[in-house]
Amino acid sequence: MTTPQDIANQFVQFYYNTFDTNRAALGSLYRESSSLTWEGRTFSATNNIVEHFTSLPFEKVAHQVTTLDAQAASPASLIVMVTGALAIDGAPPMQYSQCFHLLQDGGSFYVFNDLFRLNLSG
Amino acid sequence: MADPANIPTFKLVLVGDGGTGKTTFVKRHLTGEFEKKYIATLGVEVHPLQFSTNFGTLLFNVWDTAGQEKFGGLRDGYYIQGQCGIIMFDVTSRITYKNVPNWHRDLERVCEHIPIVLCGNKVDVKERKIKTGAVTFHRKKNLQYFEISAKSNYNFEKPFLWLARKLVGNPNLEFIASPALAPPEVNLSDEQKREMEAALAAAAPLPDDDEDL
Repeated sequence: MTTPQDIANQFVQFYYNTFDTNRAALGSLYRESSSLTWEGRTFSATNNIVEHFTSLPFEKVAHQVTTLDAQAASPASLIVMVTGALAIDGAPPMQYSQCFHLLQDGGSFYVFNDLFRLNLSG
Repeated sequence: MADPANIPTFKLVLVGDGGTGKTTFVKRHLTGEFEKKYIATLGVEVHPLQFSTNFGTLLFNVWDTAGQEKFGGLRDGYYIQGQCGIIMFDVTSRITYKNVPNWHRDLERVCEHIPIVLCGNKVDVKERKIKTGAVTFHRKKNLQYFEISAKSNYNFEKPFLWLARKLVGNPNLEFIASPALAPPEVNLSDEQKREMEAALAAAAPLPDDDEDL
């Protein structure tokens, strides 16, 4: 049986792989109803979210997931919480956390809510 | 060598848009690069840059981010207890100069009345977007302005010398030895340097009486 954790694992792996290689392609994971809150700023709808991702002023980025937790939610959705580290443009890694609410649509899931923060003290 | 515990030490906050060359600049100082420490909880690399002066040894702990400004801004923890600052922009990128007032506002908000140097970096690049005469922000805010080229080491010491004089409170402070710097990756000709310095002199306001540099 596929558990929420299994689905979340697959999703997260695909998500960061896409983020690290071709941010513009992340659009396929969002819908018009999606929202992203990135370091306190909120973007809604696929085009605004993708525009934000592609305008981020770094070239190289690499995510490494440290922990991943998932729960089934109602209706037909998943809550996923990730902690990890990411490094950009050869700089040392920064800790981050990210939370996704994935909604089921037919046989697949899309990102309905996405909340991202760097975990920096101060 | 002086006992490190007795060396006057100052936290220097390095700010400016991503890609303006802050990390390249601070990495030029070789012993600082060798002794840098990464504070993972803050996402900050601290480079201890030591300078020998006629008043003894001084240490600038230069704070450089791991890129958090590229995510949407710096947290207050980065600025807190900053004693001096460098705001960097890239003379080949207009937007980085346009953002200088924002960096200055954030720095002043947390640090209040610290000496600040404005640095226009990448002056080795031929296609400048921000000409010397177009840089005026420092005059309104009483900052010192230097044109630098991190890759060629041009004017590397100038910002530190100006800040050291302000922090020590003595305009007669001089550096008595040059720090070891990474070899230049590009070279500026003497001709280019003369042209830039002439442009700076032409852009300067009338000299005032209390020459404090």
